[in-house]
Amino acid sequence: MSQPAYHIRPNKAVDRLTLIDAIRLVVKPRELSDYTYYSMGGPTLEDFRLIYEFYPEIKMVCIEQDPEIYKRQRFHLPCRFHRLKLERTSLKSFLAQYEAKDQKSIFWLDYTNLELGHFDDFMGLLGKVGTNSIVKITLSCDPRDYKKPEQTEDFRRKFETLLPNTSDPPPSRVDKLALLMQEMVQIASQKALPSAMPLMFLPLSSFYYSDGAGIFTLTGVVCRRVEEKDFRKAFKNWRFANLNWNEPRQINVPSLSTKERLYLQRYLPCGRNAGRTLRRALGYLTDENLKQTEIRLQQYADFHRYFPYFIKAIP
Amino acid sequence: MAKEKQNPYEPVDASPVKSFFVYMLTRDIRLEDAILDLLDNCVDGILRTGAEKTAKDKKTPYEGFWAHIKFDRNNFEISDNCGGIPWSLHKYAFTMGREADPDRPQDAPGTVGAYGIGMKRAIFKMGKQCSISTRNEKDAYDVEISPDWTEKKGDWDLPVEPSKTPPKYQGTTIVVGTLHAPIADRFSIDREALQSTLQQTVETHYAAIIDKGLEIKINGVLAKARPVKLLFAPRKPKSTKTPKAIRPFMFRTKTEDGVEVFLAVGFTRPIPDPDDSESEQIQKRYAAVDAGWTIICNDRAVVYCDRTELTGWGEAGVPRYHNQFIAISGIVEFRGDSSKLPTTTTKRDVDASSRLYLQIKNKMRDGMRVFTDYTNKWKNDLDESRKYIEAGEPLSLDEIKVESTHLVFNATTKSVPPGEQYKPELPMPRKLESRQRRISFVRTVEEIRRVAEYLFGEAEASPSTVGEECFDLILKDAPK
Repeated sequence: MSQPAYHIRPNKAVDRLTLIDAIRLVVKPRELSDYTYYSMGGPTLEDFRLIYEFYPEIKMVCIEQDPEIYKRQRFHLPCRFHRLKLERTSLKSFLAQYEAKDQKSIFWLDYTNLELGHFDDFMGLLGKVGTNSIVKITLSCDPRDYKKPEQTEDFRRKFETLLPNTSDPPPSRVDKLALLMQEMVQIASQKALPSAMPLMFLPLSSFYYSDGAGIFTLTGVVCRRVEEKDFRKAFKNWRFANLNWNEPRQINVPSLSTKERLYLQRYLPCGRNAGRTLRRALGYLTDENLKQTEIRLQQYADFHRYFPYFIKAIP
Repeated sequence: MAKEKQNPYEPVDASPVKSFFVYMLTRDIRLEDAILDLLDNCVDGILRTGAEKTAKDKKTPYEGFWAHIKFDRNNFEISDNCGGIPWSLHKYAFTMGREADPDRPQDAPGTVGAYGIGMKRAIFKMGKQCSISTRNEKDAYDVEISPDWTEKKGDWDLPVEPSKTPPKYQGTTIVVGTLHAPIADRFSIDREALQSTLQQTVETHYAAIIDKGLEIKINGVLAKARPVKLLFAPRKPKSTKTPKAIRPFMFRTKTEDGVEVFLAVGFTRPIPDPDDSESEQIQKRYAAVDAGWTIICNDRAVVYCDRTELTGWGEAGVPRYHNQFIAISGIVEFRGDSSKLPTTTTKRDVDASSRLYLQIKNKMRDGMRVFTDYTNKWKNDLDESRKYIEAGEPLSLDEIKVESTHLVFNATTKSVPPGEQYKPELPMPRKLESRQRRISFVRTVEEIRRVAEYLFGEAEASPSTVGEECFDLILKDAPK
């Protein structure tokens, strides 16, 4: 699948930074060293770079099967090897061997496609991680994959046990498909941690976006049921919180030059109608029409703190 | 005269206690099955109305009937317009268990309630309080089970009163309250997962009933029928070039007890390539694998897509189920007096020791052998076999039964039970193909991708394509 370079996908970059925020709200500063961050990393270990930048206390483990990517990861290590361990194995094998013991974990199951096995991994992991661990799952969410009747039937056969309504075909709108994915994650979490268990999976945030291919991502915490209200309280004022399995939020940041961004900085944060305010401030359209310009500038207002600058550098 | 020895022991009081029904019997059934038990009662209600005989459209005799299920943290409710509970049957509907009673009014054929515990067990599974409101013909009455009643020893009488607000339709509404805490949690905390499981079960297990027109909704979501379908050669092929399609193996009989049995086993799809690395993972990749046996008793599937010894896999010459047999599926239908059918009291399983079932299982294995043998014979030429299988049309059990009336069945007088069977003539591979041999070997993913990149300029080619291309390249150079 052809996608933009892993480290310059703007919407994914925003998503990574919302995870950084979620960690800050779940983990007390003095407990950061109790946590280990696990993810698949990609060739340049972008998410590990961020974790190390914001939370150097957190230990890190990267799971990668491909020998060449593994070598690239060694090349891109953001810190010394003892802080970030590179495990050359498949995620499935790693999860089979993984034992939380009393450790707390932050797991990012960062898939680029959609398979039943991904939900199996997720469900298995929920039953294994320690209390107050964070689990984030990212899945492919692209309605173009389900246009033909045989693709629709294949989807039903694949995911029947996780679908809220087995007879309905996957929606053709990306927001509705993202909602369906979220419902599937919700059903999977209820099956993995049913009401009879003292632990539960509480969603914290969910997004969908596209940097070429559609993506759905959901972050949640595995907590004691009796402590659910504490987490709800902690996330009450976080603007991206989705604690009740409501519709996922779209990330669709506009393509703005550095000069434009620096100019808009003086208007941010702004209250209602941020999209209109920023459009008027610029005095021209940055998208195909006025409506689209304002929608995406609203996105910029929402996510500007999470939106990294991509600057050309000469090594 | 010897003095008669006095018995020092008093008779033992073996009368039942309520707690057995309320707390013990309920452990034998899953919540999902308890709910389906209540749904069964709705269907039994329709049968008592005689709708099947009077319906204008014989294909959809249950059109206009509905059963709606709702649940939340506080209550469970099932309501229907399926005819209500006749006052003449009240004793049998509300008594805990059922005795053989010559005075009992004859129930409608096709009903599945045989033990007289389904409704009560379902209620007590969920909660301590229940209101049942029913209207049948001129009778409209309410039955109340209170938490006190369930706790009070000895008093088995349930208060019955004329309905305060009789339903506009002839039917029954059951509302269970004072839910047990774990059940209330499942109805709220696990709501989405439970709803999904129920929906899926209703759509597969009640497929025949939904197809007959019954509208079933769970929390407002309409259930749609998803019956198992077998590929069946059409009577008139689409064109003269269409290859000869395959029909299922079929068997039918009627026992001395009046139970009608119809069995069909065949293909649902082409045979998968056993060497395709992905097919090895089929069961891991798919949640729904419609291979195996489905057993239907009076329109309800009591076993769905079973692939174990229960349905004959791995027994008496039939190989154990393996992904290679994923295309083989079978349906057995038993129809008749519910007490004669091979089901357990939960009605969600087959009574594996039932004499009738064991006899029919012989035939199930006979049919299966035809298709496992075919699969084994064709595994070296799957493309050719695909043509024969794909030429068939997917038909549901009812459609197969209709089509079967146009075929010649042979009497099987020596088998037990005697009946009639249709054994399809399956196309066999040409003799030439016996000279073919399979080559298989294992290499790492990285190596296969490297060779694929070298051969095709892209790394995504399937392992079998890469292997074949390698062989063909060398074959061209090899001296004849």
